[in-house]
Amino acid sequence: MNGGRTLDAALSALRDANGRAFWRGLDDLVARPDMRDRLAQAFPAIAGAGADWRRRDILKCLGGALAMAGLDGCERSPDEDALPYVVQPEGETPGIARHYATAVEMDGVAQPVMGRTRMARPIKLEGNARHPASGGATDAFTQAALLDLYDPERSKAPLFKGDEIDWARVDSAMASLRRTFDRTGGAGFRLLTGPVGSPTLLRQIGDLLARWPEARWHQWSPLPRRPHGLRLEQAQIVVALDDDLIGPGPFQTFHARGWSERRRNYQAGQGSASMFVAEPSPTITGVTATDRLAVRQDRIAILIAALEAMVGSGDAPAGLNTREAAWVQACAAELNRHRGQGLIALGAHHPPASHRAVRRIAAMLGNVAANPAPEGPGSGDIRALSSDMEQGAVAALLILDANPAYADPAFATAMARVPECIHAGLHADETAVHCRWHLPLAHGLESWSDGRCADQSAAIIQPLVRPWLAVRSRHAVLANLTGDDRPDRAIVRATWGLDDAGWRQALLSGYVAGAQASPAPSEPPATDDGEAIPAAGEGLSVIVRPDPCIWDGRFGSNPWLQELPKPLTKIAWGNAIHVSPALAREQGLANEDVVRLSIGGRSVEGPVWILPGQQRDTLLVHLGHGRSRGGRVALGVGFNAWPLADASGPVTIEKLGRTEAVVSTQHHFAMEEDEFVRFVDAAGDKLPKEPPRSSFFPPQRSSPAWGMAIDLDLCIGCNACVVACVAENNIPMVGKDQVAMGREMHWLRVDRYYQGSPDDPTHAFQPVPCMHCEDAPCEMGCPVNATVHSPDGLNLQVYNRCIGTRTCSAYCPYKVRRFNWFDLTGGDPPELRAARNPEVTVRGRGVMEKCTYCIQRISAARIEAKKQDRPIAEGEVVTACQAACPTQAIVFGDVSRDDSAVSERKGNGRDYDLLREANTRPRTTYQARIRRGDKA
Amino acid sequence: MICLAAVALGVAGWARVRSPYETEQGWVQHQPVPFSHKHHVADAGIDCRYCHTSVETSANAGLPATHICMTCHSQLWTGAEVLAPVRESMATGRPLVWHRVSQVPDYVYFNHSIHIDRGVACVECHGRIDTMPLTQRAKPFQMQFCIECHQDPAPHLRPPDKVTQMEPLPWSEADKRRYGARVMAAHSIDPKTLVNCEICHR
Repeated sequence: MNGGRTLDAALSALRDANGRAFWRGLDDLVARPDMRDRLAQAFPAIAGAGADWRRRDILKCLGGALAMAGLDGCERSPDEDALPYVVQPEGETPGIARHYATAVEMDGVAQPVMGRTRMARPIKLEGNARHPASGGATDAFTQAALLDLYDPERSKAPLFKGDEIDWARVDSAMASLRRTFDRTGGAGFRLLTGPVGSPTLLRQIGDLLARWPEARWHQWSPLPRRPHGLRLEQAQIVVALDDDLIGPGPFQTFHARGWSERRRNYQAGQGSASMFVAEPSPTITGVTATDRLAVRQDRIAILIAALEAMVGSGDAPAGLNTREAAWVQACAAELNRHRGQGLIALGAHHPPASHRAVRRIAAMLGNVAANPAPEGPGSGDIRALSSDMEQGAVAALLILDANPAYADPAFATAMARVPECIHAGLHADETAVHCRWHLPLAHGLESWSDGRCADQSAAIIQPLVRPWLAVRSRHAVLANLTGDDRPDRAIVRATWGLDDAGWRQALLSGYVAGAQASPAPSEPPATDDGEAIPAAGEGLSVIVRPDPCIWDGRFGSNPWLQELPKPLTKIAWGNAIHVSPALAREQGLANEDVVRLSIGGRSVEGPVWILPGQQRDTLLVHLGHGRSRGGRVALGVGFNAWPLADASGPVTIEKLGRTEAVVSTQHHFAMEEDEFVRFVDAAGDKLPKEPPRSSFFPPQRSSPAWGMAIDLDLCIGCNACVVACVAENNIPMVGKDQVAMGREMHWLRVDRYYQGSPDDPTHAFQPVPCMHCEDAPCEMGCPVNATVHSPDGLNLQVYNRCIGTRTCSAYCPYKVRRFNWFDLTGGDPPELRAARNPEVTVRGRGVMEKCTYCIQRISAARIEAKKQDRPIAEGEVVTACQAACPTQAIVFGDVSRDDSAVSERKGNGRDYDLLREANTRPRTTYQARIRRGDKA
Repeated sequence: MICLAAVALGVAGWARVRSPYETEQGWVQHQPVPFSHKHHVADAGIDCRYCHTSVETSANAGLPATHICMTCHSQLWTGAEVLAPVRESMATGRPLVWHRVSQVPDYVYFNHSIHIDRGVACVECHGRIDTMPLTQRAKPFQMQFCIECHQDPAPHLRPPDKVTQMEPLPWSEADKRRYGARVMAAHSIDPKTLVNCEICHR
């Protein structure tokens, strides 16, 4: 698309529209392109074909296909071997899954999970419903941790100067280090870790520092973060100032769960659930908010001062523009209305003075001081380490599960001055190549450990599987240094001092009862501020944020997360320089134009992507891409934005005159025009009643009758459901080129719509699985009856019948069917085969597939119920997406029962069918989003 | 002429698909130990569930762990040459590698436990295993075979305590039907739902 002209056209098109129109991207808004172009957007795969085809080529292909089809039928299933146990472990039954309570750590915060294993292979992680911090939900990162365990490119053996060695050599080297530092009291020894939450690791580090008083521990967190989660469920009003509370990160599940609980109470008429957000670039939190203000990052301090003045003395805010003043006034009014029940949060990357001001406002309102001082980013700490290294003051550096050389090339240079550099990590990454020693770490799902959850409760991490590589846990690496030869389990258990019964109970439930650490007391707010509010800058402002899918780069080798469309931009496999529509018009920028973005003396080059809703002068870049090592999947994806992370100076952008493809799924599988997302004004409002549509077919009545309800008022577009679906249903990843052609295989997609002006649009998310229509058009289209209906209302896809005509996909108005263009699974290495769910068929080339409502879970429940001669109980079948959803937006169950949760949802007056005019009687229905958050 | 050839090709193809070459019916697989079901079931009178322990609870019947073999063979035939792989497995901890006789394609999900629970006897699918010195596939494990029973399960049902019995019950066809009809009524089994695709394919 052509920047300026397109945007002008878009704006004029919007002025002419009747106001209800939804758009996916800016190109949607321009004067309707011709049919072929629209097809190319929605189905890039079709657009590529057909240009240079001649009659003879087509005939050749047809002939070839016919011959191949004949051959395909002659295949006899291959002979298989069966390997029974030598001694069957107690409690293990082939064919029956076992579950273990454990946790997955992210940024030092444990995410409690229940790991499902089959014959000792972990195959799926679910939230641990019994753990107070999880309630059974998970985020996308936690779901994807399973694939990291099976990553075929994980380090397999210790390396010394790049050569594989055995652990015995490492042991003797560590012993000699130990002797040296025992003599010198640890002088010159430095330990560098990421954020540490594990009580056992903290204890081990404490022991190490006690033994070697001269040694130093540097805790480096590349991104600043809050120390613990906030209780959003109690907040009648949440004010988030440039703080992506319910966005991706270690606290997402906890916060989103709390927010959803509050919101559901509001829906039921109890209290308010307002959310006021001021932010420079749209985030999940911002677009979910009831009142969102796009504001420069450096004006947040001014907003806080205005809010303080408004709350304190009722002074009208000064120095604000009209929109900002209105936002502050509305915000202050709501805060005053809910004194003692509000919550103000400020992004951890903001200066301490702003945090103090926020705490003062909270104190004035009698609110819980929800904004404890954030843990420092530690960049000062790592800079001190860096300068010590340059001065030769560091004799040995142990880097435990951190990758500073990727984030900071200067650190890598300084590492050359350290005689003994030891790196312990999952991958031989950018930091490992600068170290003499690289020690392969065990993945969290195969080691003993413990951690602190978002609510400061404790979680015990037990292994789901014994390591199959020569790897050691981080506890073992530290214990090795201090000469502690106890096994990991004993080291972890020693931290907790539990008796046998208590320890067993902790392992069963996944947490240690009564071991809730009390949050650090909040520092009392300073009474006298006297601090000058920094003036907002002029010109362009760059914000650097972790990638919503691969975070700071640590998940770069995880294809599930790389191929996950980012919640707001829908970009997969890469990053971009995001600019506002107004800036793009002013500078003549279009999507995919490569620009050089410079701050002071530092610069990066990358493609432009226009992001509606971004503050006018703000540029957003995502970290985590442009990796040079650490697994093939991560290589060559996007550009490295770390150089800009702490850069300062004037900002310039310079167009380089070339383009680079950015893969975004925002136009893929587009449905024809409809009021996709519906809104009501306030809680209790109902959608207008629509007359029932007549149908040629009788309605289907059966028991059970499976159906799903998705509440768009609760959906935050976080993608947890998408990754859960991938993990549960063996969905293959296709890679960047194929995604560009619209061939991604996700059974569940999350559509994102805009409404209104590109400068400040309303955003809406809509997860779209198969609708399981009662009158399914796909079933009428299939020439071989490969897609049929089951009596309990499932629209079935029979893979062994499918011949791949793709007619069903053409007939499907919701565009939820996915076609296997290639053999996407046959070449998988053995590790990835082991990760698959044995209850779900691995699809071959040339067949159509789609969401099954997790039919394997329905079947399991049906067989168990049959064995006990009873109907399937309410809540017995939980789909993977439903289980993962942190906001409980997805509810699944039997719609033939009036008392089921799904029937209750569908009866709340906000229920509507997607594409109603298609009259397919879908079993998946949506509940309209509520615009307001206060009592109507 | 072409028509005739096409018909002949069709008939030949159909015959081949139904032939033991394709169904592997009656074929014997090479095994590490020439295990005789005839000896263990008919001569020694061991119940199926002694070795196939999870047949009543799990989708998989379960192949016996080496440890189960050794419960007897640590006492009996301790020096037998044919049992050397079993002893070696026990000593080294490496599993025995059996070649599967009964298997269905990967897109078919067969659950043993529900069939046993409803009274479908082992012999219905696995044949007279008590007469097989070397194990062979008794029935063609093709969809037609499954469907025939799913369309009309009544004559294939037995009392649960008789499911592992190899000999036919002393029942007439009418007895079988009468008992089967009673079971189907008691468990509300509807043959119409038994032939739905999702019962076996997912």
